[in-house]
Amino acid sequence: MKSAIKSLLAATALTAVAASAMAEDAVGVGIEKIGLAVPNLQADFFNQIKLGVENYAASLGIEVITVDAKGDTATQVSQVQDLLTQGIDAFIYIPAGAAAAAVPTRLARQEGIPVINVDREPEGEPGDTVIYGENVMSSYEVCSSIIERAGGSGKMVIIHGQRGTTPEVQRFEGCKMAIDENPGVELVDQQWTQMWSPDEGFSIGQNMIQAHPDLKMIFGQADGIAMGAAKAVQAAGLDDQIVVGGYDGDVAALESLARCDTPFVVTATQSTQAMGVLAVNSAIAVSKGASVPARQIPNAVLTDCENAQQFVDNHP
Amino acid sequence: MADTSDSRSGLGLLKDAFSLSGATGPLIGLLLLCAFLSVATDSFLSLRNFLNILDQITVLGILAVGMTFVILIGGIDLSVGSVLALSMMILGYLNVEAGLPMGIAIGGALLASALAGAVSGFMITVFAVPAFIATLAMMSIARGLASMITNGSQIIGFPAWFNMGAIMRYGGFITLTVAVMLVVFVAAWLFQRYRQEGRALYAIGGNPEVARLAGINVKRMTIMVYTACAALAGLGGIVLAARLDAVQPTIGIAYELDAIAAVVIGGTSLSGGTGGIVGTLIGVLIIGVLRNGLNLLSVSPFLQAVIIGLVIVLAVAAETFKRARR
Repeated sequence: MKSAIKSLLAATALTAVAASAMAEDAVGVGIEKIGLAVPNLQADFFNQIKLGVENYAASLGIEVITVDAKGDTATQVSQVQDLLTQGIDAFIYIPAGAAAAAVPTRLARQEGIPVINVDREPEGEPGDTVIYGENVMSSYEVCSSIIERAGGSGKMVIIHGQRGTTPEVQRFEGCKMAIDENPGVELVDQQWTQMWSPDEGFSIGQNMIQAHPDLKMIFGQADGIAMGAAKAVQAAGLDDQIVVGGYDGDVAALESLARCDTPFVVTATQSTQAMGVLAVNSAIAVSKGASVPARQIPNAVLTDCENAQQFVDNHP
Repeated sequence: MADTSDSRSGLGLLKDAFSLSGATGPLIGLLLLCAFLSVATDSFLSLRNFLNILDQITVLGILAVGMTFVILIGGIDLSVGSVLALSMMILGYLNVEAGLPMGIAIGGALLASALAGAVSGFMITVFAVPAFIATLAMMSIARGLASMITNGSQIIGFPAWFNMGAIMRYGGFITLTVAVMLVVFVAAWLFQRYRQEGRALYAIGGNPEVARLAGINVKRMTIMVYTACAALAGLGGIVLAARLDAVQPTIGIAYELDAIAAVVIGGTSLSGGTGGIVGTLIGVLIIGVLRNGLNLLSVSPFLQAVIIGLVIVLAVAAETFKRARR
């Protein structure tokens, strides 16, 4: 009962805030409630986007309802049904899993509300716009950087993310460009993770080091993977021989980079919080009938020991 | 206490008819939960939300029916999530990649699932491998096979009517997939209550040796139960494929734990011999309503996980407490 009263109070407070925001701005933002479906809040990347959406929406007096699919596509479809039951005015959809289900988009379309995709979009059922970090050029830069640090030649391995997802495919494409430019670099092994996770990065990295003792470069397609692999390098005592590159610019990864004391030396920092803000702005624009670009692609910034600290202090 | 004294009233008769033995506690819990959510949210108590919940529990419901039989005979099946994924990938491969008609694809998927269950049952009965280990092995084997079919990639491109079966509400009320689940529940309930083999499950769960001496073919029944459980997991996979309009080998991880939780919340004892299908239906509804309600209340995802865990502990503790006092 207590919590019922509490939520009632909270709801009233929120409506009051929304109402005052509406009053201040003659036009109003046009939407009061945004539904945000994320695949997996255990991944810092999605958590940062969530924070970006929530903080920015709060400043506009918009209520955000977040649901976490814990990596399971079926759970996500159920959660989206529940969001729609609550009368959301716009839907920010980050599909879970490689089989980015088209069903949530179809359900939202039936309600006639804007659908903003972030990071991935389901095949055959695009939203009003998709916002995703540029992957190809940025991973080209990361791989070029680790090749340069390794002296321009030697054996290299790639530890991929979840097979078939957009970032997995594009980050490989970019890295392959860098490898092809350097004839001295030999791609000797590739493995795929299920969850983009550090423990997978560690165990896969350990096996690769075992199989190729003269390995010089590792590209992990996410910071978690890269940091796991870097731990494996340290465990094998090969800090001076192997350099590791990552991707995303997770907070933990940036902190590690800023300390400059591990084999993990470079990443590409994505503007995750900015992507959240962009998603909210797009939702508002679409609901007002304004046109938004079909694709919005913020760049990632190459980050190493030198500039990591500035991103730790203030994540883009 | 009121519900035990009025056994001759309408409620009592109804209870008899649905063999609620052991499931009254969960039923009361479910009703309380619904009452609370009706007051606490303005979107819970509506036909539309009720139909959503039915949609959402379809797969779990079908899996839990098979799991109920397995647990009734004192066994456990940890492979259902993986078998579900295997069924989905075979369905996708046969229908989309090989271009076979959906009927054949569904038949093939169900057959492969049933085979996986038969192998588990065979290991348990003939080689006396503990059920926990045998199905743990099958969990790994089925997941690996599912991933091998496409080398880890997803398959999309089912015919349009397939997804419609999970979205279109016939008569404004029921989707094809929910209808499948209801048929499974009714069939399982009739089997458990009126077929001799159904009653035999309780005997096996109570004491397999006594059941064998009483003339029940325990080995054959055990293999049948694991086969049925896996076939139902396969059916769950087909329903899920319709709901998602896509298949991927990583789907269904830890679904067996959800199914076990639903069965146990519904009052079926993990040591076998007591409980039943009606309790499981209530257990599945409790999980479905709880997840739906927490979303409607906008409870943070992190807190949701904690609450669901607490409810499982509470449900089982209450049941154990009740049994101990008897």
